[in-house]
Amino acid sequence: MSEMPGLVEHVTCLGCGCSCDDIVVAVRDGRIAEARSACPLGSAWFGDGSVPTDIRVRGAAVSIDAALDAAATMLDEARRTLVFLSIDTSCETQRAAVAVADTLRAVVDGVSSSSVASGILAAQRRGRVGATLGEIRNRADCIVFWGTDPAARYPRYASRYAPEPAGLFVPDGRRSRTLVSVDVGDARGPRDADLRLGIPVDRELGAIAALRASLAGRSLGEHPLAGLADLSRTLAAARYVAIIYDAEPGALPPEPGRAESLMALGLELNATTRACVMPLRAGGNRLGAEAVLTWQTGYPMSVDFSRGHPRYRPDEGARALVAAGAVDAVLVVGRPLGLPFAIDAARTVVVGPAATAAACAIAIDTGVAGIHEGGTAFRMDDVPLPLRAPVPGPRVAADVVRDLAQRIAARRARRS
Amino acid sequence: MTDRLRITGGAVYDPANGVDGDVRDVCIENGRIVASLPNDSPRLDAHGMVVMPGGIDIHAHIAGSSVNHARRVLSDERTADPAAAPDLLDAVGRSGTGGTVPSTFTTGYRYAGLGYTTVFDAAVAPVSARDTHAQLDDTPIIDAGFFVLMGNDAYLLQQIAAGERDRARDYAAWLLGATGAYAIKLVNPGGVELWKRNVRAVKSIDDANGLSGATPRAIMETLADAANALGLPHPVHIHCNNLGMPGNVATTLDSMRALSGRRAHFTHLQFHAYAGGADKPWASGAKELIAYVNAHTEVTADVGQVMLGHATTVTADGAVEYLLHASSGRRWVNVDIELETGCGIVPYEYRDAAAVASLQWVVGLELFLLSDDPWRVVLSTDHPNGGVFTSYPELIRLLMDKAYRDERLKGVNQKLLAGTALADGLSREYTLREIAIITRAGPARQLGLTSKGHLAPGADADITVYARDVNVATMFAMPRYVIKSGTLVVEEGQLRRAPATHRLHVRPQYDAAVMRDVSSWFDRYGTIALANYPVAPPRDAPVPVGASA
Repeated sequence: MSEMPGLVEHVTCLGCGCSCDDIVVAVRDGRIAEARSACPLGSAWFGDGSVPTDIRVRGAAVSIDAALDAAATMLDEARRTLVFLSIDTSCETQRAAVAVADTLRAVVDGVSSSSVASGILAAQRRGRVGATLGEIRNRADCIVFWGTDPAARYPRYASRYAPEPAGLFVPDGRRSRTLVSVDVGDARGPRDADLRLGIPVDRELGAIAALRASLAGRSLGEHPLAGLADLSRTLAAARYVAIIYDAEPGALPPEPGRAESLMALGLELNATTRACVMPLRAGGNRLGAEAVLTWQTGYPMSVDFSRGHPRYRPDEGARALVAAGAVDAVLVVGRPLGLPFAIDAARTVVVGPAATAAACAIAIDTGVAGIHEGGTAFRMDDVPLPLRAPVPGPRVAADVVRDLAQRIAARRARRS
Repeated sequence: MTDRLRITGGAVYDPANGVDGDVRDVCIENGRIVASLPNDSPRLDAHGMVVMPGGIDIHAHIAGSSVNHARRVLSDERTADPAAAPDLLDAVGRSGTGGTVPSTFTTGYRYAGLGYTTVFDAAVAPVSARDTHAQLDDTPIIDAGFFVLMGNDAYLLQQIAAGERDRARDYAAWLLGATGAYAIKLVNPGGVELWKRNVRAVKSIDDANGLSGATPRAIMETLADAANALGLPHPVHIHCNNLGMPGNVATTLDSMRALSGRRAHFTHLQFHAYAGGADKPWASGAKELIAYVNAHTEVTADVGQVMLGHATTVTADGAVEYLLHASSGRRWVNVDIELETGCGIVPYEYRDAAAVASLQWVVGLELFLLSDDPWRVVLSTDHPNGGVFTSYPELIRLLMDKAYRDERLKGVNQKLLAGTALADGLSREYTLREIAIITRAGPARQLGLTSKGHLAPGADADITVYARDVNVATMFAMPRYVIKSGTLVVEEGQLRRAPATHRLHVRPQYDAAVMRDVSSWFDRYGTIALANYPVAPPRDAPVPVGASA
């Protein structure tokens, strides 16, 4: 029986870190017929809204009660557990998952430690200059895309945030701004830049250092790259500079020093003008995992509770621990996709969207945060947004993880 | 947990009800104070001890995006201050980390461990209200609320520049409700927007600096009037222009005079009470400033004492943090926030060997000791800016114990202290009654909290019981019992329970016509749909507003 589609407005998309919240989801027969305003990446993320709804323990379908008891037993009996915050979960689910890790004295980590750790550590050493996307949209008159064309992995960034929209202090939108494209090796910036600069991969940090020297009134050094002097002048003359780069792996050539060097450049620009440095981040509420870990433990990633309190172990994140065989149970909360480690089927519990697609001992399918369940997610600029649930799904992840936390706590209380 | 409890034999300090150390019983039933209980009700023996209402912090930074940015950047300092999970009877205790900006669970436990039961976060960006509520939900035991930042909101500045004061009031009312906030906060009015435009100083409160008619004076007047017209329980809460600058006492006095006759709260006065500047060295402006406050009963204030030691400066006042970074060479975080406000963070240390830090320490103490009215000048360190909230017991000792204070004074850098009132000898020692006022009854009155900060029947049963000690810092650091909403949370000095908390917020009425304009503003300049902007209303009913407030 086909009905007229129902429309759910103001839906937040977690397909990438842009977190566009203007999506209109057309729902027909409990399925997503269309995600209007969404980019191709967003449409693919919403899909038709169908997800598996199973619960399995070692392949057999069981009740939620049996699966949670089995999971509580396995995790409680393990000597050292890894709780991994994967993508497509709400902050509410993440909060419950960190509680599980605390009770188990486990290690808790998320996707950031294996993707953007260099930027997080650089900010902790040196500080950072940031801005929310609304400031970049309304104020930035100089947009520098560093080795990054947002069109590829953040398709609506240019039209929603910068450089295209008109803003309070950039009334003519794109024409009010100077668009700079820095190409780092083969990683190209936008095609229609006003100023273009090419940097060979092996001279990237040197070029940033030369820019810093030039802005501080020193020379660009010997044999400066063509165009560097123009860029230095453009930055110095701008009212508000936004330096934007894709912080996620796979876009720019690997360069562990990039995040810190760009941050240093941004910090120094503020001596004479205003500037921010904006790492582009992928979707699925990764920033929520960092925020929740930070407020509950004090650290944004790689937290070890084994001594009964949080310890920061940025060198011993999930990937390193699993590779070293240092954990004997793993709880993945979130979608079991793109994990930085191989799942050891016998010792792994997955609670999340399409959990049962993973080869693991215990799998509990939940909805996808933002498609089947509401809650809160963070945009790439640490701005929190509400999630809607345009279509019904299986059990809510936050409820499942809270239930699991209670069962583990009850087991521990009985023993003590 | 028993619903009834009789606290017997303690010396009760309940200044709101004129009780000054009288030995009497305090009766609790169903989370509230009652006049009497049946004789067979459970008893808590407080003989020889001191009984006060639970502590109330009117100005601290404990939740929200800026606080979380600070936590994140301080990963190095917190490794030295791990906090194990408390062994609780009614909840699963949570571990955390401390340092100058503790994690959420540790924040709640440590406040409760000090006998504080209500805390307000003083600076929340409207767009961060959603995660502020989530962080407060993860902050156990203490009731909490927050002040929402409006002094640099681009929409408001436009309305003020255009003389649209009614529309500004309606917008303020909407924003309070939309964010679940308790009061209106101004930080460096106009100055944060100017910092984003690379204008780094506000010369005077009449300096428009390109903000058209939205001078600091107009911003302060408009929002002070809005808060008073809406009948908010707490008036506009102002962090003045030129924080931390030598000579800024002139700006502070101008701001107070601008609002003469209007109810207004001026926060962390210490950071705004410096004389000197231009070619003259830093000096204390405390005497001049406190004389004005003493003479003007419409003014309330908290001191923002600097405590010698480690702190973290975290503020919406981005401009001042850049200067602190540039002068100290320390790490700096700046986040410009969504045409609403800013955020600046610099980890800091107030060293007793440093001349300016020593002067700041003295200025704060002078404000306390020269204040005529403890109801209007209350205790704060602007946690974690002037010092961490766990240093309150030390601050109380400095106020109550002249000999100790004099000893400490000898140990600080004397370079800028000549001629200060403190150096000339201030003999005042705060009494327990006065301490109860500046940490409980006074903040409650300033905040318009009618059921907190006192122990009359009907009040919330938030109570702290201290064992006396010759060292009052020890006494105030380790309460023997703490009761929150009638539940015994600290027993024999141990944290034992973590009952549900309450959110303190307001939801004033406004003329909905303003929303057409706001909607068009969001369409043009917003990055979030207006429909997605308001937070879910907190579970607790809003605190009433209106003419009686």
